[in-house]
Amino acid sequence: MERPHEIDRYIELASPFHSFDPRAKIVSFLFLILSIVLLRDLKLCFVGFFIALLFLFFSKVPLRFFISYMRWIFPFVSLFVVIMPFTVEGKEIFSLYNLKFTYEGLKYGTIIALRATSAAILVFVVVSTTRFADIMKALYELKVPNLLIQMLMFSHRYVFVLQEEAQKMLIAMRSRGFDIGTNLYSLRNLGRAIGMLFIRSYERADRVYHAMRARGYGGKPEVLTEFTMRAKDWALSLFIFTISISLHTLVVP
Amino acid sequence: MKAIEVKNLSYAYPNGTKALEEVSLEVEEGETVAIVGPNGAGKTTLLLNLTGILKPKKGKIELFGGDITQMSNIDISKNVGIVFQDPDDQLFMPTVFDDVAFGPMNLGYSKEEVKERVKRALTSLSLVGYEEKCPHCLSYGEKKKVSLATVLSMQPKVLLLDEPTANLDPRSRAELIKLIKKLKGEVTIVIATHDVNAIPEIADRVYVLNKKIIAKGRPREIFMNFDLLRKNGLDAPEIMKLFYVLECFGYDCDELPLSIDEAIQELTRVVETRDGHIHLHIHEHTHKNMEKLRKLDHHD
Repeated sequence: MERPHEIDRYIELASPFHSFDPRAKIVSFLFLILSIVLLRDLKLCFVGFFIALLFLFFSKVPLRFFISYMRWIFPFVSLFVVIMPFTVEGKEIFSLYNLKFTYEGLKYGTIIALRATSAAILVFVVVSTTRFADIMKALYELKVPNLLIQMLMFSHRYVFVLQEEAQKMLIAMRSRGFDIGTNLYSLRNLGRAIGMLFIRSYERADRVYHAMRARGYGGKPEVLTEFTMRAKDWALSLFIFTISISLHTLVVP
Repeated sequence: MKAIEVKNLSYAYPNGTKALEEVSLEVEEGETVAIVGPNGAGKTTLLLNLTGILKPKKGKIELFGGDITQMSNIDISKNVGIVFQDPDDQLFMPTVFDDVAFGPMNLGYSKEEVKERVKRALTSLSLVGYEEKCPHCLSYGEKKKVSLATVLSMQPKVLLLDEPTANLDPRSRAELIKLIKKLKGEVTIVIATHDVNAIPEIADRVYVLNKKIIAKGRPREIFMNFDLLRKNGLDAPEIMKLFYVLECFGYDCDELPLSIDEAIQELTRVVETRDGHIHLHIHEHTHKNMEKLRKLDHHD
């Protein structure tokens, strides 16, 4: 039953980002992301992308782990590079069945793709170097609405329970001769099983709420946090803020 | 002083299913009471009513002399803690520490006090070192223990346990029974359970619940009533059944032992008073009495 806590798998590593105060980490990374996604120049976008990659490198999180997450984002991002050149007016590079492939389109597509990928990389660095519980606590300290934090927390906690229940259900179905096919019969039964899963989660939600009420829950749980900003946290934050601002103030040659 | 007093409690679920009818029971402070009954007898519903989460349709519940409907959720939580059967319902925070701290934080204790309480609760259940683990990484037995810790950290005067030993492997079960025995006397405990073999070790009194209170009494009184057990889908402890068989075959015994400890006492007594001699024979009631036990075992 011991399952690696997926996204928390590499939080035990030692890197400047691992020991970075979670609150400062979230705020400064968000600022850097904001700065990168607001870039309009292609060259600067490449610089931003390079910075994100450097951050990833310094986080010491294995590349393979990073790619296993990025492959979900890649198809969406690459769509821009493929579609934009055909939709934006501009200098033609070549044409395909009367569709013009333009230089401007390629440029804008690449800018969007670079911004999105850089943002995703930076979010990944934050999430993979911080214990999930600490992210929640940091958000709490940063005065993010309690309701939102609770929703995040419960999703994270119960997605595993739900996954386990779905797996058990599927095994129970298979053990009685059910094979997943693309025919109507199998889809109908899968639909029923998913319906049951919803009902079960609804009932579980009821029981969890009872358990929370019984322990004095009144809608706004307090969270015990123990974060302290040290000199190096301030320094690292300042460094990231400086990069973010320089991206917009430096003149592009 | 009475910790819990329930008078003529009736409860029906929103869809109209009657779960409890005219239930009355009393639990003295410091007592350990077991509630037994078949599946769907309303044991969990009764416990939920005792925590004020479900509101009774009819009847009255008093906690230490105060009407439960007049108490705030926080006041009730300070007095009564409940451990649910499924630990996945009980544990909802990202780490064990946060889960055990959840109750005390809600009760408004200071940071230091909360940390102290978490430490004490985890130490008493030998769970030190589990603080940073995530609940879904634990084994079922560990989850059960952490569930208990989440309530102990609130230091309630009354502890409600719903099927504490269900689905546990023998070692975890033994461990949990030991923990309950340790808590016994320090707090008032109400246990809803099917585990008849554990009851003699932990419970002072037993209530048989099947929507209504069918019977109440000391464990021996309840377990000796085979007819009552059979009608309510229950069973007697195995040790007691063994000694009952011996009695059918002529073994002379004043009180049937209910647990291993009591069996040892009984046999020691035989050694001391009768030089350890046991004479077995078949007498006129042997078959008739055995038939009673058979009926209980086969529930027909």
